[in-house]
Amino acid sequence: MWKNYLKVSFRNLRKRKLYTGINLLGLTIAIVSFLAICLYIQHEWSYDKMYADHERIYKINQEFVSQGESRLVSSTPSSLIPTLKDEVPEVEEGTLLFDLSIFSSVMIDAGEGSQEEKKFAFADENFFDVFDFQILAGNPSRILSEPNQLVLTASTANRYFGGYTQAVGKALKVDGKEYQVSGVMEDFPSNSHMEFDFLASFLSHRHGKDPEWSPSNYYTYVKLRDGVDPVSFHSKLDQIVDKYLGSELAQYGYSTAFYLQPVAQIHLGDQSLNVIKPGSDIRYIYIFGVVALLLMAIGIINYVNLATAEATERNKEVGLRKTLGAGRSQLFGQFVSESMLLTLGAAGLSILVLNLIVPKFKEISGVPLNLDLFATPLGILAMLVFVAVVGLLAGMYPSVILSGMQPIKALTNKTKMGGGAWVRKSLVMFQFFVSIGLLMATLIVKNQLDYMQDVSLGYEKEQIIAVNYHYSMRNSMETLKGEMLRSGAAISVARAADMPIHIKAGYKVFPGGDNQKELMITGYSVDPDILETIQLDLVAGENFSEADPTRAELEDEHSRNPILMNEAAVQQLGWSSEEAIGKVVNMGFSENSVIKGVVKDFYFNSLHHELGPLVIFNDPDQSNVLLIKLPAGNPSAHLATLEGIWDRMLSDRPFNPVFVDQAYDQLYRSEQKAGLIFGIFSAIAIFIACMGLFGLVSYVAMRRTREIGIRKVLGATQQNVLSVLAGDFLKLLGIASVFSIGFGVWFFQAWIADFANRISLNFWPFILAIGLVFLLAMLTIGYRSWKVYSLNPAKTLKSD
Amino acid sequence: MIQLKEIDKYIESRFQRIFILKGINLTIQEGEFLTLMGPSGAGKSTLLNILGLLDEDYDGEYLFGNKNIRTMKERERSSLHKSEFGYIFQAYHLIDELTVYENIETPLLYRKVASAERKSIIADLLDRFNMVAKKDLFPAQLSGGQQQLVGIARAIAGRPRLLLADEPTGNLHSGQAKEIMEVFQELHQEGTTIIQATHARENADYGTRLINLLDGRIESDEKI
Repeated sequence: MWKNYLKVSFRNLRKRKLYTGINLLGLTIAIVSFLAICLYIQHEWSYDKMYADHERIYKINQEFVSQGESRLVSSTPSSLIPTLKDEVPEVEEGTLLFDLSIFSSVMIDAGEGSQEEKKFAFADENFFDVFDFQILAGNPSRILSEPNQLVLTASTANRYFGGYTQAVGKALKVDGKEYQVSGVMEDFPSNSHMEFDFLASFLSHRHGKDPEWSPSNYYTYVKLRDGVDPVSFHSKLDQIVDKYLGSELAQYGYSTAFYLQPVAQIHLGDQSLNVIKPGSDIRYIYIFGVVALLLMAIGIINYVNLATAEATERNKEVGLRKTLGAGRSQLFGQFVSESMLLTLGAAGLSILVLNLIVPKFKEISGVPLNLDLFATPLGILAMLVFVAVVGLLAGMYPSVILSGMQPIKALTNKTKMGGGAWVRKSLVMFQFFVSIGLLMATLIVKNQLDYMQDVSLGYEKEQIIAVNYHYSMRNSMETLKGEMLRSGAAISVARAADMPIHIKAGYKVFPGGDNQKELMITGYSVDPDILETIQLDLVAGENFSEADPTRAELEDEHSRNPILMNEAAVQQLGWSSEEAIGKVVNMGFSENSVIKGVVKDFYFNSLHHELGPLVIFNDPDQSNVLLIKLPAGNPSAHLATLEGIWDRMLSDRPFNPVFVDQAYDQLYRSEQKAGLIFGIFSAIAIFIACMGLFGLVSYVAMRRTREIGIRKVLGATQQNVLSVLAGDFLKLLGIASVFSIGFGVWFFQAWIADFANRISLNFWPFILAIGLVFLLAMLTIGYRSWKVYSLNPAKTLKSD
Repeated sequence: MIQLKEIDKYIESRFQRIFILKGINLTIQEGEFLTLMGPSGAGKSTLLNILGLLDEDYDGEYLFGNKNIRTMKERERSSLHKSEFGYIFQAYHLIDELTVYENIETPLLYRKVASAERKSIIADLLDRFNMVAKKDLFPAQLSGGQQQLVGIARAIAGRPRLLLADEPTGNLHSGQAKEIMEVFQELHQEGTTIIQATHARENADYGTRLINLLDGRIESDEKI
């Protein structure tokens, strides 16, 4: 029986080419999008689940509480791990990691000149006991146990030595210090939250031999013994805090606590704790999941719509089969097998298409999709179940409609599709609702991104480059600045701790001097030229001068230390900008900090955050970024000049400039990614929906060919014919628009709430989205109605 | 075999009922070859559809054997339909996507006849109607008479006790029509009950009983 169903289905599909083509294309596009998103989500979900016992591995984060304000940081003191191992039996293994890359890059010299490397970390000897990465060469238990040992990843070993067997035992210079390659490990998998090229033994680090309770600069990972409850384990961590840290921190008004974070939750968890490699916002994962389902629904709806519309054409066949003795279930089987066959074809095509787009997808999103999953037994089974479910969903409704027809009515073609019409109409409406909704979301995201692009940040970011330099180079900087200015390739040069786009250092204003309040404040260590370079405006007082001492020149905490603050800071301390000048505040390290000037507020963090208080220190020695304002015009010539000066003066470090405006855009990477994905998928949704619309209008037009012929004979114009065909659909679009406006407003409020600085609700995204979809729908219908109109009525009227 | 009592069939229009059939009482014995005649609109096809269980929208009683069709469950009616009835149409109504062989096979598939038995039944039928060479052709490749032969083969493949034919020769020229009627006669002689609706008086001569319908009523009922 099934053989017969399939044979007939196949012939039916082959016979009706437009119908089959539209359905196949629609389903294929929907399935490709669906599977691509599923693979993407699967990849994001698989993070850090490849280690044996990953559910027992935790990262430890540290919380600092002061004045009721708490801050959770991802790093911990280096004493934590040895103490836990000695004193807490529940800890089976533990390891410590020091990620050098967040501080600076290193220079690696394998005997053929040095190269700058960024992904460099120190790890203690137990690293591979916690994370069971594969060791390709070297003795696993001894490769990080001695000072000056270095483990390379396979691709790094290839890069430097052309293979991993020959790498072991070779010497390498890291920032001039000699290391020996003790082993080679596999590359960090793309779904690990860690990503390094070099792991040096922690004993080589300058603090490696004597663990300390301050500062908190190290990542700590523990593997708990089987059966240990992580919640109750926190009491052990509290005991450690009480014993070693509590009293010391209390002096400064802080308290602290340690918290476990399951290693598999780092990638999608709180992103401020995920510092080694950018993670993903779990909300976007959910949103993409919903989008995947919606696209699949649109594809299925297309099939349902076309198949029910087509049912009118197939009345006769159904009636006939019934008189031949077909039962309802047999007819149902016939029509469902048709949708299954089509879905199977679409799924096969989708796998082919996916193979083509996976490399492109990796380029755009940076995520490698693992198509091999479809070749595993489980993958094949999942795929078959998927095809069965989609085929059933798509085929069920049309099959019920078709198999439920009364044979004699069906045979004589008297059945009107009245019963199914409202279902079909609501489905069309749903498609347009989704299309318009996605388009609105895209436009709203784009609006906000444009706004962040164009908003006045209070400083200049165009034509400014930032170059990292090493702490050891600080003494050459003043000379270098002079040379650059003289060359004419720079208008202004300043040293700063960071680019102004994202200033991180946390400080605190303590009661003392003229102020009795406490205030958490962000600190920016710079030299006096920063105001000119990035065009910060002074609203009161004046800039640092040559005569002012730098932080390094302060004798002790009582020395007079001139500082600048922003408007927000002085306002929160209770002063106007003018009043604040000359006031003395206690910055902790310097009790006699005198406010010398007040700068106009500028956005020194991503626009997700409110503009907060900021203090600016005259502290060039803490700086490791050179900010250079280039003259107008093509920057490449200036960059070459600057590079020449840099290389002449500082031959051991490469000149790696970053444009500040580009770095600024990077802050909104996940929003841009979301915008791009919304954009792509709304285009796909609209395309599928229009295709379905085309199919539906074609059927309506075909059924009404005779009517339109009569109308034409009676003198109907092309517009009249268009309105006959379009009227119904435009009504549906109208209703869909109303619903999608509701969705759009909700989306706007939910998504935009994430930004402290945001666009206000305006009607443009709504008008544009609705207008565009209306236009496309009208074009689709218009094309079809033109074709019907152009038929000769003499022919269309004869057919009865 | 069949007993109809006071069958009414009407269309409810805005102001009145328009009767298509009115007060039909009819008893048909097993083995009869009955012809329904009458002008267009007399209710021939409607009566045939009611007899063939294709139309359930009427008043009155319909007994098949000793079973009342009106009170039967859908499932029983469907299985009765499958086992006892065969249909032949004026417009042949073959399935365009299926070959001759597959068209004849379809009712057997619905009756879940085993594959080997299916093959032998179809082989016999093809042989009987001299269509062995045409078994892999599609309906569009056949002449009208040949299509109707396939239609008959298909109708009798399930070995029905009752064969219903609505204007079976209406689309054929006289030579082909004669051939079809001879097949009917043969089937009748083998014991199949046949009810046909027709315009053509000469077709009635092959049968055993002639009923004339006019305006939804039985006007005459005669043995031939």
